[in-house]
Amino acid sequence: MMPVRGGAGLILNSDSMKPIYVQIAEWLETEILSGSIKRDEKVYSQYQLAEMLNINPATAAKGLNILADENIVYKKRGLGMFVSEDAKKMIMAKRRNQTLKLLVAELVREAEHLQVTEEELIQMIQEAKRDLKGDT
Amino acid sequence: MMSVLEFKDVTKIYGKKKALDNLTFSLGENKITGLIGKNGAGKTTMLKIAAGFMRESSGEVKVFGEHPFNNLTVSANMIMIDNDMNLPAALNLGELLETAADFYKKWDMKLARNLLDYFGLDPKQTHNGLSKGMKNTFNAILGLAARCPLTIFDEPTNGMDAGVRKDFYRALLKDYIANPRTIIISSHHLNEVEDILEDILLLKDGKQFLHKPIEELREFAVVVSGKEGAMKNWLRGHEVFHKSDTEFGRTYAVIRNDLSDDQIAAAMKNSLEFSTISNEDLCLYLTSQEKGGIDDVFNKG
Repeated sequence: MMPVRGGAGLILNSDSMKPIYVQIAEWLETEILSGSIKRDEKVYSQYQLAEMLNINPATAAKGLNILADENIVYKKRGLGMFVSEDAKKMIMAKRRNQTLKLLVAELVREAEHLQVTEEELIQMIQEAKRDLKGDT
Repeated sequence: MMSVLEFKDVTKIYGKKKALDNLTFSLGENKITGLIGKNGAGKTTMLKIAAGFMRESSGEVKVFGEHPFNNLTVSANMIMIDNDMNLPAALNLGELLETAADFYKKWDMKLARNLLDYFGLDPKQTHNGLSKGMKNTFNAILGLAARCPLTIFDEPTNGMDAGVRKDFYRALLKDYIANPRTIIISSHHLNEVEDILEDILLLKDGKQFLHKPIEELREFAVVVSGKEGAMKNWLRGHEVFHKSDTEFGRTYAVIRNDLSDDQIAAAMKNSLEFSTISNEDLCLYLTSQEKGGIDDVFNKG
């Protein structure tokens, strides 16, 4: 595990299965979801990201380009990249269909291994949800 | 994109040994490239020819479109930092900076002085009186402050403390962002430098083995492991870069990542496991001669 770099609160993990530029894209998505970067606001430039995270600017650009390709951000010539109107909606849809599905599949597989019944699993999910609410 | 450095079928022969063997590659403008390879792979020879310190035996070398050997245009626009730099012994560090300032057009004296101060080097000291790590720190400062369109660092962090290494690479990245230029860094420690690289050039036996964006290196190979018998069958027809058998009847292999869905499905069925590998380890395996490892030494009867 790499140490936290910069003040952005993003931890880059060089050993992760995920390439660094994917980690950057996902972090920016989380920033948009949480409202840290709002609609039509400017996203960090590749050079700002490179400095913040101590990485090559080309790697940072690759991360930004993932978001641009998915229309989560849009380019303004000479000004940089900005958060699209529907960015939040798009990120949520994407994460539900991809990330969450995979996590659930993994959860179900592990439950099978451990011979946890469906009812028990659902109960565990409900408990986890209650705990989460209690925390906040 | 203009290419700053171009090698075409370059061979360099020392006595009977081919240090470079028909080496061909070109580096685009304003990229940071990591030069990787084992000792004796030809890295330093390649860099010295690129810097114009040495002549190739055959082939074509171009730096900024010109042949670099004994070429003033090239030497004014290029700096090569290595572990055995010959700096005038009569001058102290401050005077060495003044000399460099006279020679390099884009020299940044403020940066040089601030770095000297930050790293605790006294301008009144002589270069000869410095420890190996301090010498390399000073040399690295020269390399940064010269702001040359082609900047070469050959094993720049040898002897430096861990903290100094980190600071140096951070300084390099910051200065590169502010003043983009073509930079080559050769290092045995890929893990300490890989994040700031754009491309990687891997030499093996004096030839180009691989030259690609560092982010693609990660997808170049994959690690497979599983029971010996199952692995033996499954590995047939795959390009294996490294294979080792452990004492527990398991085989571990690094193979080219060009698997079809069918092959992956077959691997899953045989309980083979996939994992990733650090770029540094991958490069070690890619450039090792044998397909075994240190364990084989102990397995020999």
